[in-house]
Amino acid sequence: MAPFGDTIALTGRALRKYFRNPSAIVPGLATAIFYLALFGNSFNPQNLIPSSSSSGGSALQAFGGAPTYITYLTAGVICLILVFNMAFGGIDLVLDRQLGFLNTLLSAPITRASIYFSGVLQNLVKAMILAFLAFGVAFVIPNGLKLPAGFGILNFVGIFAAFALLGIGLSCVFTALALTLRSIDSLVAIVNFVTLPLVFASGALFPSSSFPGWLKEIADVNPITKASEAARLLIVNGTLTGSNFWTFANDLVYLVVFAVVLALLGYMAARNALKAE
Amino acid sequence: MQTKQIAFDMTVNGNGIMISAQDLVKIYSNKVKAVDKISFEVREGEVFGFLGPNGAGKTTTIKMLTTLASITEGRASVAGYDVRSHPSSVRQSIGVVPQELTADEELKGIENLILSARLHHVPSDVARNRAGDLLRLVDLEGAADRRVKTYSGGMRRRLQMAMGLLHTPKILFMDEPTLGLDIQTRSKMWEYIRKLNRENDLTVFMTTHYLEEADSLCDRVAIIDEGTIKVSGHPGELKEKLGGDILTIEVSSGLDLTSFFQGIQDVSDVSKKDSTYRITLPRTEKALPAIVQGLSQKGIQISNISFTKPTLDQVFLKITGRSMRDEESPAAPPAWIQSA
Ligand SMILES: Nc1ncnc2c1ncn2[C@@H]1O[C@H](COP(=O)(O)OP(=O)(O)OP(=O)(O)O)[C@@H](O)[C@H]1O
Ligand SMILES: [Mg+2]
Repeated sequence: MAPFGDTIALTGRALRKYFRNPSAIVPGLATAIFYLALFGNSFNPQNLIPSSSSSGGSALQAFGGAPTYITYLTAGVICLILVFNMAFGGIDLVLDRQLGFLNTLLSAPITRASIYFSGVLQNLVKAMILAFLAFGVAFVIPNGLKLPAGFGILNFVGIFAAFALLGIGLSCVFTALALTLRSIDSLVAIVNFVTLPLVFASGALFPSSSFPGWLKEIADVNPITKASEAARLLIVNGTLTGSNFWTFANDLVYLVVFAVVLALLGYMAARNALKAE
Repeated sequence: MQTKQIAFDMTVNGNGIMISAQDLVKIYSNKVKAVDKISFEVREGEVFGFLGPNGAGKTTTIKMLTTLASITEGRASVAGYDVRSHPSSVRQSIGVVPQELTADEELKGIENLILSARLHHVPSDVARNRAGDLLRLVDLEGAADRRVKTYSGGMRRRLQMAMGLLHTPKILFMDEPTLGLDIQTRSKMWEYIRKLNRENDLTVFMTTHYLEEADSLCDRVAIIDEGTIKVSGHPGELKEKLGGDILTIEVSSGLDLTSFFQGIQDVSDVSKKDSTYRITLPRTEKALPAIVQGLSQKGIQISNISFTKPTLDQVFLKITGRSMRDEESPAAPPAWIQSA
């Protein structure tokens, strides 16, 4: 059980640092508010297409019957927050290498796996905390998230299961990347290059049904699409029945496979990155 | 394979050899040959010093021995385990105090110690007790609950040392443990290291820039430069190769005192210029009282007396024929002693 204990000890250290410095949470939360308020207003189809309907309700039909655009948007914005926080969470790991902390781990009798998995876990926990907070923000802002009648705790668990699975997969990728790269500059460059296209080539912010064919094909296999779709189904409908349920189940299975495959690939890359110089 | 390893253990431990390096070579991926065929042995309970200028290959050697850098060629064993084939057994036997300060700034001193203990699988109650003892040893009791970012450089170094010792390793590797410390703090560090070495029979492998440090602390020293060991031996032996300290005495007397000085035990060389004598002494501490006493018995006044300890630079100069390319290490100041 030592590797498990080591993973917990290392994750504990990272989270203790994180909570001791709440200034790290504030920008994350501010980003969530910013995205929801900005996207919620500037992309709001009720504003974009004023002529389509007097009520605006029909414009939202393409958005899965969400009562407000922010209700539609919340799942996507949380996915966006997950992507960015996972990606930039890697900076702490690069710093650990640069400051020599990683070397003290590598000369200690702990498994290399515990170093990798603690990286995955610490980023996951940090990002999931922000995901929870963002959900709360969406709920309290004016004209914000409206949950359907009968929305229960299980629905809530389902939403965050989808986020967590996406989060695990992303965390594995970015942890392996951070352990491999030796400079913050190159990490930031790759993150900037990868994250935005990844988010926009997904159904996180707009329904992929409105995309041109090639983009739709990418979006349909993008795990961000799956996670936002799964979470959105629950947010809009509450307890799922019929085809909605099967879509949700399908998305979740897809995300489980995504998480497991990336965890393994990430582990192999990390083990290579943690080899003696 | 397993039985072979055990047999290897026994022979190594039987001889009391804790570290053995045979023709170690390290070539980094950028083709830099940082270490070039070095061989040495460190016995149980010994303090072994690796002395050399910047870029000599000291850290690289420590990295190979502590499993952080791969060994390009050659063979090393630590605590009886082959480093290449049994890295985890090596890691279990060693403590490492790296050249850079790696204690976490955001965490308190005590939290850093406990984390280090957990990563070495020390039970938490044992860890707490030992952390208390070690904090006392390195004089950080009062600062244990402060975050490391409020520590001075010297406090950080001392904490770093405690972190390397919490799991009571058999062998402690220390990479320039006193770099950047003032003289008082440095001699305190030497005290801790001596105490641990004496009381716990800890084997120490350390690197340093400072000859005084190697001299006062190490049982044996190897001078490394450009990846090769130039000379090794007891610090006294190395100093003797230089002939020892240089004592300069100016007397207010026209008498030629050359033969008087030569007659004193331990004096190895005397030269005279006007009324100033340069006397080479392997052991100044012993010879100095005899010289001062002898002169006062003769009724000769000393008008000026000083001595210079041989510096690493001088040893280095003698061995390699050039000066140490080291800007960081200040030359040891001559100790001026005014006569009464
Ligand atoms: N990771 C690395 N990759 C490539 N070259 C390296 C690496 N680490 C060290 N070197 C090179 O190997 C040589 C020896 O470096 P090393 O760090 O072992 O010296 P050192 O004796 O510890 O010096 P210092 O007193 O400055 O700490 C130097 O030329 C250095 O540039
Ligand atoms: Mg070094």
